[in-house]
Amino acid sequence: MSLIGGRSSSTNRVLLAYLIVLLVYGCAVGVNREFLAWSTIRLQLVQATFIGLIAIGETFAVLIGQIDLSVPWTITLSAILSTNLAAMGGNQWIAFLVVIAVGVTVGLVNTIGVFVLRVHSLIWTLSVNLLLQGIALVYINAVAPTTHVPAAAQFLALGNVGFMPMAFIVWMIFGGFAILALRVLPFGRSIYAIGNRPTAALLSGVPVGRIHAIVFMSSALGSAFVGLLLSGYSSQAYLGMGTDYLLPPIAAVIIGGTRLAGGEGGYVGSIAGALTVVLLEAVLVALNISEGAQQMVFGAILLFLAFLFLKRGR
Amino acid sequence: MTQHDSLRRGASGRPRRIEKHIGPVSCTIGLAVVMALYAIRQPLILSPFGLTSLANVSVPLALAAIGQTVVLLGGGLDLSIGAQITLVNCFAATTMHNGVVSITTIVLLSMTIGLVMGLLNGIVVAYGRVEPLIGTFCTSFVFGGAALIILPRPGGSIPASFATALTGNMGILPFSLILLVSAILLVWVPIFKSRLGGFIVAVGDNSESGRLSGLPVRRVELVSYMLSGLFASIAALFLAAETTSGDPTIGSIYTLNSLAAAVLGGVALTGGRGTVIGPVLGSFLLSIILNALGAFNVSSFWQSFIEGLILMVVLGLGGLRLLRSGSWLAVLRS
Repeated sequence: MSLIGGRSSSTNRVLLAYLIVLLVYGCAVGVNREFLAWSTIRLQLVQATFIGLIAIGETFAVLIGQIDLSVPWTITLSAILSTNLAAMGGNQWIAFLVVIAVGVTVGLVNTIGVFVLRVHSLIWTLSVNLLLQGIALVYINAVAPTTHVPAAAQFLALGNVGFMPMAFIVWMIFGGFAILALRVLPFGRSIYAIGNRPTAALLSGVPVGRIHAIVFMSSALGSAFVGLLLSGYSSQAYLGMGTDYLLPPIAAVIIGGTRLAGGEGGYVGSIAGALTVVLLEAVLVALNISEGAQQMVFGAILLFLAFLFLKRGR
Repeated sequence: MTQHDSLRRGASGRPRRIEKHIGPVSCTIGLAVVMALYAIRQPLILSPFGLTSLANVSVPLALAAIGQTVVLLGGGLDLSIGAQITLVNCFAATTMHNGVVSITTIVLLSMTIGLVMGLLNGIVVAYGRVEPLIGTFCTSFVFGGAALIILPRPGGSIPASFATALTGNMGILPFSLILLVSAILLVWVPIFKSRLGGFIVAVGDNSESGRLSGLPVRRVELVSYMLSGLFASIAALFLAAETTSGDPTIGSIYTLNSLAAAVLGGVALTGGRGTVIGPVLGSFLLSIILNALGAFNVSSFWQSFIEGLILMVVLGLGGLRLLRSGSWLAVLRS
């Protein structure tokens, strides 16, 4: 009963999310005609890719009623470690191995805290974020950062296939997998089951622990991969490069119509959410108002969207 | 005493009461150990000056943590505490001038701003029905943005008289400690001795049954956020006195740290359970550990690493108790 009801109301929410993308894009064009040019759209698509890739794991996490706030320093640590070790090892593919290692490790640590030790994911992942920040600071203090960024990372972030940005294609491939996994695979059924009724899911034999591990690992792997992409995008890895990526992916998930308490929503909406967040930021920059005013408007608009989408019960 | 037992005996059973004291007691022990180690390494820390400086670094966090605790007790969460502190700090540093009239006016205005920010959070969460997590996340951008408009770069000034009045000391008694104790005695104690305090805890414990039994759930939630804003504004005024200037980034660390101090002090993130002494002790423990690192020649680069590690170990230890429970089902329900 709740499954069918949930599906149809979440379809409406997804439609609404895409309407909002169109609305924000309309505003963007109204503010500045530049937004009609493909070069501008292309730039926004690349920016949305960074948020969208992180939003995959974040969508999974929110669907099972958790949240991952260890994103910012997973990005930074992965970027710094992968570019540095690849430069030292003299082989750019080392960077990708490091990304996987960072992602798997962070994901496992998050799983241990949230699932095994039953700590609230909000505070556990924030603490992990702090620990990762510490590791990054200590590492940077010991090793000089490299300006040598793997060519493959640069191609993934800046390259084009035909007129399409490579990054966007990567996003669509991973995003497609995420949508399939949620809709077709047993993994998706388990996720919705855990989000709706954790106890019932455990009793009916859903591998709750394994699902938590997959969820947190995909979130950490996504962030770690985006770290490498970002270093390719700006041709360097630096401290604090991930700080702006704490809120936007979560905002994307929520604007996309996924219920914060879990069990309802999906990744189709999150794609619209990522586009909305990026366009909003671009419009605010185009309006040429002060940094403080930008933040205020961004917060107020997000608040309004949250108000539209995120009614709790009475 | 395992979690399993406490679950079986229900909310009013004896084990629950023991659990209530685990946070404050372990913070006290931790505080004693840390102070002993610190004093062996650096005996001057026990001098009036040393004690005052320790109190001064701990009090802003303690005030923020008390505010966070009020909201947590009511079943909410305030992720905008850091931004609230920043806004009030910037406001005070740009407007306060020497003289009793100016100082009094600005202090009262600052506290009003704190209450208004709390009111806004409360309206969003209690009446707008937005999840506390995302609602206060959004308002933190509004408050932080407003702070950047008031003071884009660190600057401004605070009269020396105001600074000494809050950060000075009389013998071994730091003024900051008097401020903290009076904030607790004048705000926390009256509220939690009154019916309102009982309502906050009842709503946090189970808002649905609170609503069914006729509690004004929304108004209670609203008040809890306003109190959080009030405590944040006091913390901000103290920070302004301590640094004698304003800084549009000063508050950011207080969001996580206030949560951490509350959790260390045994406040439940799920609402309805906690004390005031726990978060205060947790704040002192956290602040003093970080302060002591310098004395042990630990480079400041290690600070966030150690802070994160402490948090994870403490949070994890809390979880280890659960692992002793025989059944995962009991754990899931906790």
